Amino acid sequence: MAAPGVLESDFSSAVTLLKNLQEQVMAVTAHVQALTKRVQAGAYPTEKGLSFLEVKDQLLLMYLMDLSHLILNKASGGSLQGHAAVLRLVEIRTVLEKLRPLDQKLKYQIDKLVKTAVTGSLSENDPLRFKPHPSNMMSKLSSDEEEEGEAEDGQSEASGKKSTKSKKYVPPRLVPVHYDETEAEREKKRLERAKRRALSSSVIRELKEQYSDAPEEIRDARHPHVTRQSQEDQHRINYEESMMVRLSVSKREKGRRKRAHVMSSQLHSLTHFSDISALTGGAAHLDEDQNPIKKRKKILKKGRKKKGFRRRR
Amino acid sequence: MNDPVTIQTRKFRTSRLLQRKQVIVDVLHPGKATAPKTEIREKLAKMYKTTPDVIFVFGFRTHFGGGKTTGFGMIFGSLDYVKKNEPKHRLPGHGLYEKKKTSRKQRKEHKNRMKKVRGAANVGAGKKSE
Repeated sequence: MAAPGVLESDFSSAVTLLKNLQEQVMAVTAHVQALTKRVQAGAYPTEKGLSFLEVKDQLLLMYLMDLSHLILNKASGGSLQGHAAVLRLVEIRTVLEKLRPLDQKLKYQIDKLVKTAVTGSLSENDPLRFKPHPSNMMSKLSSDEEEEGEAEDGQSEASGKKSTKSKKYVPPRLVPVHYDETEAEREKKRLERAKRRALSSSVIRELKEQYSDAPEEIRDARHPHVTRQSQEDQHRINYEESMMVRLSVSKREKGRRKRAHVMSSQLHSLTHFSDISALTGGAAHLDEDQNPIKKRKKILKKGRKKKGFRRRR
Repeated sequence: MNDPVTIQTRKFRTSRLLQRKQVIVDVLHPGKATAPKTEIREKLAKMYKTTPDVIFVFGFRTHFGGGKTTGFGMIFGSLDYVKKNEPKHRLPGHGLYEKKKTSRKQRKEHKNRMKKVRGAANVGAGKKSE
């Protein structure tokens, strides 16, 4: 038999608890009665709502009913052993637990809906829509180029510059620039180019070497004035050295080389230096190797129709 | 005989698959004709501290004006690797290979004679005794 002191302390705490319980029960009853009145008045239409949430509601209500039945039984002194309500409770509890992951997945949507209901509907152009829009994936650039100004960050970037239609590739049209280069500007550009060419000519380079204190460098450098033939020669040399083979030279190639060599080794070119009038300010005179290329192009164009395969020159 | 023949090497590469080293050889011989390959091989042997018989050089081209020649060189690990990996047309220069001397005409005539004869017993039948 427990000491009467313990019973007395328990007694007082029990009384306070019971008083609390009574107050809370009265509050809950009032709340439930108000809710019932409103539901009966039809203030909460649930036909167009999420069926998942309806199921959850019904299950929770059944759970509460069974629980309150069991509490009533227990409070009036009955035992809960083998009560049918216990089995029902267990079943409902299991189903609710299985619904929990679904609940997690829908959480975002439900929150969105609630927010919409509270704050009013979202605008049509809101990028945070509820479902994906495949039509946004298609590029709108084919019709109009002005739509690039719209600031739809997420989806118009995903739509990208590729067109999903199966047309042939159309290169993007660059923004055209107005051509208003005057004669004076053209002259200036030409002068600039001539100056750059003159600076790299052999005369100026030798002057530099003469007056600079730096040691003389012997480099495997490319000729500053490259012709097509010298570029091809360089290409051939690179190939031969990397593959460790010697390529044969066809008759045509030999002829071309001879022509290029003759052009550059004529005796009068000993006294003919490249044009540095751009730096000295005198009158410009044409270089020897500029004209022949133009002449050659014209001749080739005439003969192209005759022969079937002609090497690109 | 004032200026000796100088050898410079470029683009050195080791080919482990073929057990050899590949190199581009620049020969400088101002005022003289192109140096013979045996001389170049000996100089390369001194450079790479091997014997000249594992060194093969080929493809020498003299630049315009003379004085400089460029070619390719291969330095093998040993003679066995040479016999395995070097193409047959370069081996006779080192005495490692003997090509058969039958001329093309002779071979074709022999073949045509053999067409008339059938069977294993007639193996030596087509050969003319000249």
